[in-house]
Amino acid sequence: MIPAAKVVHSLRRVSKPALARVFLRSLFLQAAWNPRGMQNLGFAHAITPALEELYPDPAERAKAVARHLEFFNCHPYLAAAILGGAVRLEERVAAGEAPPEVVSRFKRALGPPFAALGDGFFWLALRPVAALAAAATEPFLGLGCVLVFVLLYNAVHLPARIWLFATGYARAEGVVEAVARAHLASGTPLLKAAGAALAGALAARGVLAAGVPGRPYHALLVATTMVVAWVVLPRLGATRAVYGALLLGLVLGARFV
Amino acid sequence: MLPLPPRGAPQLFLLAAIAALVGGLSALDRKGALQLMLSRPIVLAPMLGWALGDAQGGLLLGIPLELLFLGGVNLGGNLPDNESLLAGALTATVVPAGLAAGTGVDAPLAALGLALLLPLALFGRRLERASEERNIELMQQALERAERGDPTAARLNLRGLLLPFGAAAGICALAVLASPMLALARSLCRGAQLAALEGAWHAVWAVAGACAIRAIRDPRAPALAAACAVTVIAITAVARGLW
Repeated sequence: MIPAAKVVHSLRRVSKPALARVFLRSLFLQAAWNPRGMQNLGFAHAITPALEELYPDPAERAKAVARHLEFFNCHPYLAAAILGGAVRLEERVAAGEAPPEVVSRFKRALGPPFAALGDGFFWLALRPVAALAAAATEPFLGLGCVLVFVLLYNAVHLPARIWLFATGYARAEGVVEAVARAHLASGTPLLKAAGAALAGALAARGVLAAGVPGRPYHALLVATTMVVAWVVLPRLGATRAVYGALLLGLVLGARFV
Repeated sequence: MLPLPPRGAPQLFLLAAIAALVGGLSALDRKGALQLMLSRPIVLAPMLGWALGDAQGGLLLGIPLELLFLGGVNLGGNLPDNESLLAGALTATVVPAGLAAGTGVDAPLAALGLALLLPLALFGRRLERASEERNIELMQQALERAERGDPTAARLNLRGLLLPFGAAAGICALAVLASPMLALARSLCRGAQLAALEGAWHAVWAVAGACAIRAIRDPRAPALAAACAVTVIAITAVARGLW
């Protein structure tokens, strides 16, 4: 038989306004990113509106906040799923249906794989592709290319963040399955292939801009510089490569007046 | 006498205030808040350029900068060069300098500005590390307060935004105030020097193109990019009757 007190507690749910505040605060997850706790302070700050409803007693709430100040690291967008799931689990903890360790285990288990997934998709595929698409459209759209970047990126990023948070809250541990079915990992190679093609088109633009009209040697020099830079970049780094190119351009540019 | 924007010193100070605000906000978007990518050079440079009076000039700076730093990724504790600080400061210097010199943002001015300000990308990385060290103190304060029973301890999170905002705002404002010197350097350049600087800007584009291809971390990327580049050049050559 379930004790009456537990039945009452199990009915406690975080209100929609509080969930909205949690989500809005998740946009500041990395405000105090630090090498020891990484996103811990941001996570504790984001989940506080939910804890305020679940733990009316300030002392209990402070204990819950302290629990969330443990080490936490994830991709800042994918973390929304973990945050949503943590709110759902906190409801169970507050109702006495689960021990507090459940929330910690959930965060520790999902942080690294979600970080890898988010880094691969958002940082290494979507962002470069959106930027390259914008740069490639600049000759046709002018300043409108800025909107291409902002819209391409955020049309994926913002709905993804909202969906991740909502799914995390709705399904808690089940969010893993939902994210696996979102095809983030399988879409990454396609995006990278598109990015490579766009990067090639932009490289061609650099060559053509230097060589047209009627300056074939300029085009040849830029193409050669590009190939050499591509080879030496890993050893030289971007800063030295740029200074080397500036120097080379100054010397050669003066000769080709 | 140093060249100033059309409305003189008051306009220069106004532009410095605008650059401080936009530069500071972009520093927040870069990592601490929202991350809508408004701090990327391709957005920040034309946006700040518009606020300072020359959006097209900002775009001329923003695209190669975006390509140069396309591969920089903040993975875990690994810090990339700070492309936003560089884009903000470069735009804040070059756009007012173009207004003051009467040339607008052109390739020679852009090359001069980049040569002077490129180390800011590395400096920005150090600044970010310093900010993270400061955040350790905030975390410790929050832990102590939570252990003492303070349920509002995590509010300290937002204080982590102050240092990045202040540092970027200060640097962008100083960049505007230093712009008359760049305008003077640009107005002293003549024939061969201008051609040399234009060549330097083309060379920067070449490195930017190479960086963009490197940014796609996929073994097929170089071959795909090369094939696409050759195709585009060939089509353009045929279309313009060069072959």
